[in-house]
Amino acid sequence: MSTHLIAFFTLREALRRRVVLAAALLTFGYLVLYGVGVWFGYRDLQDTPGGPPGLTEGVVNLMLVGGLWSLNFIASVLAVFLSVGALAGEVDQGTLHAIAARPVRRSEIVLGKFVGFTLMLAVFIGVSAGLMILIVAVITGQIVGASWSGPLLMLLASMLLIGLALAGSSRLSPLPNGVIVFTLYSTALIGGVIEQIGDVLESAVMFNIGIFSSVLVPTRAIWDMASAQLAAGGFAGELSAGPFGASNPPSGWMLLIAFLHLALTLGFALRAFERRDF
Amino acid sequence: MILGLTYPTAGEIEVLGQPVGSLAARAQVGFLPETFRFHDWLTASELLHFHARLARVPADIRAERVRELLALVGLSDRVGDRLSTFSKGMMQRVGLAQALVGEPRLVILDEPTSALDPIGRRDVRDRIRELGEQGVTVFLNSHLLSEVEQVCDRVAIIDHGAIVAEGKLDTLLSAQEIEIRAGDGAEAAARQALGDAEIRALNGRLRVRVANDDETAILVQRIVEAGVPVYDVRQVGDSLEDLFVRVAERGDV
Repeated sequence: MSTHLIAFFTLREALRRRVVLAAALLTFGYLVLYGVGVWFGYRDLQDTPGGPPGLTEGVVNLMLVGGLWSLNFIASVLAVFLSVGALAGEVDQGTLHAIAARPVRRSEIVLGKFVGFTLMLAVFIGVSAGLMILIVAVITGQIVGASWSGPLLMLLASMLLIGLALAGSSRLSPLPNGVIVFTLYSTALIGGVIEQIGDVLESAVMFNIGIFSSVLVPTRAIWDMASAQLAAGGFAGELSAGPFGASNPPSGWMLLIAFLHLALTLGFALRAFERRDF
Repeated sequence: MILGLTYPTAGEIEVLGQPVGSLAARAQVGFLPETFRFHDWLTASELLHFHARLARVPADIRAERVRELLALVGLSDRVGDRLSTFSKGMMQRVGLAQALVGEPRLVILDEPTSALDPIGRRDVRDRIRELGEQGVTVFLNSHLLSEVEQVCDRVAIIDHGAIVAEGKLDTLLSAQEIEIRAGDGAEAAARQALGDAEIRALNGRLRVRVANDDETAILVQRIVEAGVPVYDVRQVGDSLEDLFVRVAERGDV
């Protein structure tokens, strides 16, 4: 099996091409900015007397979930950018010809790339989310969101996008593939908002449109699950819903749908890439 | 197709006794693509190491193999340099080393000298001949017919996707053309002698395609017997290019 060779090669390419460096530097800048924001926000919160019980806790939680929402967005963009040209783009450039002529299965190329991108995103999400939780803990003295399930769900959302982009990339060149993947990603994002409004207005149609978009691309639904894991219960949970998460987190079925989605997109990528002519 | 990069629409192919595209077949084949594009963030040594691992070269001889091949293609002094700093010619040479890294029994070279200077071309031709002497089959795809003529034992000419001529080079080129300078009436006599042979009158001389020397002798004899004086007969060399043009334009060998 050469999957690990391709995965390692993919990782090394990202390191060498300074994709990781650029992402790390920008994320570092973002974390600094975020830390400053949390520090001032928390100080103002301390200076404001009164308010319902649990307000401080809720706001701190909101700040963390909001911060992680941005990280999740960066991770999603990174996932799409990394993988959108991974197959067809390289075939068009001719860089994959010599590799595909080796005793390597086409499926090993696809899976190797998937594993490589996933590892990269795992490191990115693990490190940046860990630092963000640490920043909030150090500044506010409150440890919130310190669970594995939140960041793991964020990784799953990125993996869904990698699978989708690889499926497209088995046939389409990078530009149309990128347009399609981003459009689907945005559909899921907007679908989530429509679902929330539908929930408030008690509109079954709007609610169902949201559900449909989540089944089509479950990235937003998986984020909603992640944010529910990260948010504390009670008032804090209510507060941190709104823009960064659903008031009613999706059921466990969504996890099954997400894994099914991943299996389908990867299956398509494997099958289509296996059959294509170079 | 031999490399498993495209699929046949019909029929079966075997490469070195293995079904085409199978891992066992590809393990014995080395390939230099016409585009010779490689991941340019790698160094020359890293590229060869990566391909050596993909080609399942045992770990203990990998470093030695890479060193040898880079020396063979004259890149010993650029081992640690990134491919992005390489010229086209250097890229093609590192590509040739890449094709040879798995000690293949069959090497497919697609236009392997297109980016090389005359010295580089001669080097590659020498390498191809050496491979041939070592028992490696080299499949050379080229539009540079003089190059093909210099290194190949067997030649196939492909026109619009179909093989229109194929065989050993010396057999293919054995059909020759002779030029005859003779008196009036030579053309008629020649036509009578050889019937449907290809005969052209050119500046008062006759150009005739003959299959062999015997035909030449008969032809001259018949012209003389017809009472036409023959002043001069000489062979006109046939190159692979002549053969190619003839085959491509008129479809005959």
